[in-house]
Amino acid sequence: MSDWTRSKRRDAHSSEYDRRSTGPSRWSHCRKRGIDGSLRANGESDGSDWEKRGHTDGSYRHSDNRPSSFTTPESAGPVSRCSRQADWGSQVEDDEMRRGVHRDMQRYRRRILGAEVTQRERKTSSGSSGSCDSREGENMETDEAVLLRRQKQINYGKNTLAYDRYIKEVPKHMRQPGVHPKTPNKFRKYSRRSWDQQIKLWKVKLHAWDPPAEEGQDKVLDNIEELDLDDVMDIELDFPTLSESQNVPASQTTHSLLLEDEDCSGTPVKIQKTETTTEPGMV
Amino acid sequence: MENSTEDSRIQSFDLGTQLLLKTALKDPGSVNLETVSNIIVDQSLKDQVFSKEAGRICYTIVQAEVKQNNGNVFRRNLLNRLQQEFKDREETRRRSLQEWVCYVTFICNVFDYLKVNNMPMVALVHPVYDCLMRLAQPDALMNEEEVDCLVLQLHRIGEQLEKVNVQRMDELFFLLRDGFLLQEGLTSMARLLLLEILEFRAGGWMLSSTAHKYYYSEIAD
Repeated sequence: MSDWTRSKRRDAHSSEYDRRSTGPSRWSHCRKRGIDGSLRANGESDGSDWEKRGHTDGSYRHSDNRPSSFTTPESAGPVSRCSRQADWGSQVEDDEMRRGVHRDMQRYRRRILGAEVTQRERKTSSGSSGSCDSREGENMETDEAVLLRRQKQINYGKNTLAYDRYIKEVPKHMRQPGVHPKTPNKFRKYSRRSWDQQIKLWKVKLHAWDPPAEEGQDKVLDNIEELDLDDVMDIELDFPTLSESQNVPASQTTHSLLLEDEDCSGTPVKIQKTETTTEPGMV
Repeated sequence: MENSTEDSRIQSFDLGTQLLLKTALKDPGSVNLETVSNIIVDQSLKDQVFSKEAGRICYTIVQAEVKQNNGNVFRRNLLNRLQQEFKDREETRRRSLQEWVCYVTFICNVFDYLKVNNMPMVALVHPVYDCLMRLAQPDALMNEEEVDCLVLQLHRIGEQLEKVNVQRMDELFFLLRDGFLLQEGLTSMARLLLLEILEFRAGGWMLSSTAHKYYYSEIAD
């Protein structure tokens, strides 16, 4: 098409006017207000609020000419949250996670349904069975904010060398409950405190698969026993293994580096702070 | 098969950069992906041909990075750089029409290729619309370069864009109809392009065979 365009263009160029006509644009203005008052008046495509946020504080306040409608409707999340979310990279990551969580939710619902069906069958035949699972559908956590926060915490745990090594070394069917770390179920109703504790213990257990750092893994496992007994809640959430640092220097450094890096792009800690007020588990 | 087209695109870089990009495609973890994203954006802003297909390279690197370590360093840097350029777009347009047109072509191409769970990236929907709306302003319609770019983008991603936000597509087409019908001083070429895109959308994002014949039969000459 562009070849054709080009040849045509040469003819057209001869009849080119200078660009002074502003008349037609006035027409379109009137018309658009008639259709929908909330439309942008002038097409003056200047950035929207979320975009300005990345700028200096001054330019953000200075957005006077802008129609109030000129915000991004879909991205209600990022806009209402802190400025850190304003960059496109983070927006897309949030979007990705949100969709992932919703997809997981559908899967989980299907699984519960499947479980309920088999349970009913079993009940008719044997008459009794542990039925705490059958109520799970009603007790499912569906608050998106909670699920996203939990997913973020899980992602941090999974985004470690230890986790990669763990899933490689211990295939799923070999994992034993109580022995191997099991990712907490984000769809179960838990109090905030209980959930954070589960995450913490899960991460601590995962540390057993940290890449070997001279000392070997036994030391780490020992530490886990100690940590389990301690009141882990008193330790800062994202540095659950702080006390290990004396014993396992190498692996610990890489781990905390990872965490620091994540701090820049948004930590669970920060998110929690913004959302504590709306967290039902806390009440 | 895909690699061959990518390789041919990569030919336009100097040897060191070629090597860097090829490594990024195969082993993204071993290179500085921020540098890579900047190289790709810089080249896209300079090279109109490259900007039309750079999205594919971006897509391949994004996939490779996800596969290798579930990372998205490249995508984050790419998008944030795009956002940076987006903020400066009026300045860019004043400085160099060609760079501006390259930018729009590139961001649309990225929109076309990079998906989140097979859906367009929401964060880019409004920015892309903003760019296209800018191209549909009276002063931009006076430049065939910009009209050409606008129409090309709508051919490629118009349908997807409309699906995610009809209202803004309607807004955009109000401008295009106004431009076609009322704007003085438009070249006949620009009018032709506008008319074709109006028909194109009206026909459900395709041209009827007669319309196609009307617009394209002259190629035979």
